[in-house]
Amino acid sequence: MIGAEKMSGSNVVVGVYTYLDDVLNAVEKIKEAELDYRVFSPVARHEIEEVTFPEKSNVRRFTLTGGILGCTFGFGLAILCSLDWPMRVSSKPIVSIPAFFPVGYECTILFAALATMLGILHFCRLPDLLRKVGYDPRFSEDKFGLVVGSTHEQLDEIQQFLKESGADEVDVREAL
Amino acid sequence: MATDATEPKQVTYARVNELVLNMLKPPKGGWYCLFAMCFCAFLWGFGSFVKQLLMGMHVAGINQPISWGVYITNFVFWVGIAHSGTLISAVLYLFRARFRMPIYRLAEAMTVFAVLTAGLFPLIHVGRPWFAYWLLPYPNERALWPNFRSPLLWDVFAVSTYLTVSTTFFIVGLIPDIAVARDKAKSFFRKTLYSITSLGWTGNHKQWKHYMSAYLFFAGLATPLVVSVHSVVSWDFAMGNVPGWHATIFPPYFVAGAIFSGVAMVLTLIIPLRKVFGLEELVTPFHFEGMVKLILLTSGIVTYAYSTEFYIAWFSNNQFEKYQFWFRPFGEFKAAFWGMFFCNCLAPQTLWFKRLRSNITYLFIMSIIINIGMWLERFNIIFTSLSREFIPAMWGSYNFSWVEAGITVGAFGWFGMYMLLFIKFFPSVAICEIKELLPPPMRNKEAAH
Repeated sequence: MIGAEKMSGSNVVVGVYTYLDDVLNAVEKIKEAELDYRVFSPVARHEIEEVTFPEKSNVRRFTLTGGILGCTFGFGLAILCSLDWPMRVSSKPIVSIPAFFPVGYECTILFAALATMLGILHFCRLPDLLRKVGYDPRFSEDKFGLVVGSTHEQLDEIQQFLKESGADEVDVREAL
Repeated sequence: MATDATEPKQVTYARVNELVLNMLKPPKGGWYCLFAMCFCAFLWGFGSFVKQLLMGMHVAGINQPISWGVYITNFVFWVGIAHSGTLISAVLYLFRARFRMPIYRLAEAMTVFAVLTAGLFPLIHVGRPWFAYWLLPYPNERALWPNFRSPLLWDVFAVSTYLTVSTTFFIVGLIPDIAVARDKAKSFFRKTLYSITSLGWTGNHKQWKHYMSAYLFFAGLATPLVVSVHSVVSWDFAMGNVPGWHATIFPPYFVAGAIFSGVAMVLTLIIPLRKVFGLEELVTPFHFEGMVKLILLTSGIVTYAYSTEFYIAWFSNNQFEKYQFWFRPFGEFKAAFWGMFFCNCLAPQTLWFKRLRSNITYLFIMSIIINIGMWLERFNIIFTSLSREFIPAMWGSYNFSWVEAGITVGAFGWFGMYMLLFIKFFPSVAICEIKELLPPPMRNKEAAH
């Protein structure tokens, strides 16, 4: 239940679509009407991304931050430990940067990957075990879903629109 | 059995769900038989390990000068097996190689379980595994820290990072597919298991956007690990001043060898799985063709590396190196050398013939031959070099012990148990990625692309 996202309005109207182009056309209209919506799909499709979320994802900021922290941690750990317990081998310097490179390199990747994982959890609002507003199990199989947040007054109009846009089935549920 | 290597025929989204989720049905007798075999092998290995703990390291065959024996051979072998999983899941993802889609999940699972198996061997090898935490830099009263200039410490960081990152990548890839299994699950146990492990994934447009973006970063982060981890493992050898080890060719040679053995292991796993679960519609000769190309490429690289080692030994005019590379093909362990040469260099060349590489049974046999060859390669590197170092008074020989044999077989059982459990509980073919390959359902068919 970390940060489950609410939808605006007291209800949601759920449209179940078979065809991708139908749902894309419907989304364009819903966006023009400035209504809150979600598109569910069984697969990542670039067509949906272009219509709904063309901006870059902010997960990249998590990855970069993790990478910088990891690099600092890896080299810092190796340098500080070597200074604290100096082992003089031949005439090699105590702080041997080339020899510390593998540790710094691995820590960069480790921290960046873990930060990316945190980024997914944060931006995808996961875990969210209970609040699946408007979700239908068919959306993980072969159907596309368009869920629109609606006030009581808008319900009929939105239902009518979704039916006309090619939805196989239209349903009204509570927004939670 | 032989078929054309064309792209898979089109299936629908619902059919992909049906085919893959079919694998999660309650297991039959064959699965139980295989699991029992793996469990028995594991018990043999565990019993051998307990014997070694109770009686000491003398029950293993390792001695002076051959202080790295079968355990380190197994460690390098299993780390190598792990590598192609990341290559297939990350590197081929970045290259948009279409043949990876139906096989990458299994390859990733193989990676995670193979690294778990590999990680056991240094612990078994050190003899007192309860002191394994000494490897880590932790604050202690004497202010002692590990030596950060040692390749053995680099290995600790490399392998633990690899395990963590590949496991995270694997779990992230599984989330949308577990959600598919959740929506179709009927029993309370499976419904609960999948509801929790899918984290409540719904596949809305924001989730897909962030997920795909993060997946790309994961692939980008895992790609340098493919190169770095086995390079670091190779430095365990190459940084030591031992004839046959102290060579700059080791990192690329090890990485290519790892991919070679790992792809072969993917074939060993996917061929029976495809047959048992009827996945012929998803895993087609087109995918096998892609893997065979990788095998031919990496076989060529390892053959080139073997030849270079011999050439450099002759060209350097270093008497220790020259003797070492005479000893390998003609000395005490010559069977291992010629076995390696046959399995890794000669046998894979038959795959240039289309009739042979499109025969699935032949591919399966070849995959096992390659894995035997790659185990022999590691054996050859470790045993021949340590048994013939600089001073003849320090030369030695080696006798296998039943304890080492038991632990080696047990590791296959341990790995097999994890794989069998994974196949029965989680989708072992990537449902959502296969759907990406299919044209989406469009009312206006001309718009589909």
